[in-house]
Amino acid sequence: MATIGAHGITARLPQGFEGRIFVRPASVGVTYPVGQFATFPIPDDIGDFGSGAVTLMGPSDVFSTLFEYGHESVGTALFAQQGRPDALLESDFSPITLRRGIPGQSGTQWFFTESGRPFAFYAVLGSHSQRAALVPHVNTLLSSLVLSPAVSDVPATRPQWN
Amino acid sequence: MVALVIVSTFVVLMLGILVAGLLRSHADILRALHDLGAGVGDPSTAPAAAAPVTFTPPVPGLGTASELGIAPAIAGITPTGDARAVAVDNSDDFTLLGFLSSGCTGCAAFWDALQDPGRLALPDRTRVVIVTKGPDREIPAEVQAKATGRVPVVMSTEAWLDYQVPGSPFFVLVDGATGRKVGQGVASQVGQLTELVRRAEHDRGHAGGSRGRGEASLAGPAREAAADDILAAAGIHPGDPSLYPQTLDDVFPHRNPVPAE
Repeated sequence: MATIGAHGITARLPQGFEGRIFVRPASVGVTYPVGQFATFPIPDDIGDFGSGAVTLMGPSDVFSTLFEYGHESVGTALFAQQGRPDALLESDFSPITLRRGIPGQSGTQWFFTESGRPFAFYAVLGSHSQRAALVPHVNTLLSSLVLSPAVSDVPATRPQWN
Repeated sequence: MVALVIVSTFVVLMLGILVAGLLRSHADILRALHDLGAGVGDPSTAPAAAAPVTFTPPVPGLGTASELGIAPAIAGITPTGDARAVAVDNSDDFTLLGFLSSGCTGCAAFWDALQDPGRLALPDRTRVVIVTKGPDREIPAEVQAKATGRVPVVMSTEAWLDYQVPGSPFFVLVDGATGRKVGQGVASQVGQLTELVRRAEHDRGHAGGSRGRGEASLAGPAREAAADDILAAAGIHPGDPSLYPQTLDDVFPHRNPVPAE
């Protein structure tokens, strides 16, 4: 079980998951941290919410994105919920809650504020008919996330030897 | 006087025999190194060795794929300070892990080749991941200077320890279907990596795709053309009303309620 952390987000990945936490280079404006987690190999060149990845999913796969918004979103109605959802239900997933509708898949999306940071959590199931088996994986991932108050990243330490 | 000459002659003779023995031993060592593919200069431009692959099992003479063990996940940071974890047991593909350093001269050709799939000519559905030591042992900016962004580059000293990497360059091939290492060792030439993957693929057969995942290859115009073909085969041509839904019910006719499975 691997643990990764960057940009104030730490994830203890459940077995079979891989992931990345990154900030896209900003060509214009400001970009914020994004976490992507999946039970299949994540290509490097996918969209924030999984475009280019969800088409690779098998029926037993899960993909999820944790997307941080700008601090100006804190306090708005969309992010009024404090803290992530405790546990997602099967009924929270719907085929119409997908960024890109793909037959058989379903998704869910939640907006909330945690540690003073506004986030969206978006998850896709490879097969809606297998949601009973897949939703627990999403919940395990969701509960493993540690969201810290925003801090500037500490520069990497100088290597001791090469 | 005569005795002194005899003794001197004997000593010179013995020294000559000793030097000849050392020269012969040195020649044997050089010949053995040559057979192993160790040469001078750019490994990628060296002529093909007689031995096609010099990957070594962990226990010489005993190593089989099943004995190489389970391959742990790779977790660390990227040269730009992001976090990255790569699971090597979540697909039917092979994953080729290249343990490289930014400063090792023998790694230079592999940095280039591993990030250039066309040059490496690996079999389809082979994932390449480059693993360097973590920022406590490597300078991220130097690693970043070698990374092209075409394959994941993960900095993780822990991964080097997990895989018991003796030095760089070092390579491990993992079968994603089983999560087990199917080959590992050093390589002196880029072509050896391709040969290793091809052999592993041949040994495993062509049983890929059992997880029922979608295809990754189509993009852009090819994807558009493929979609057009599928629609045409279904009798849906340009201008078909179904291509212009007016309501959500047109797109998801069974959305309310969601049918139970």
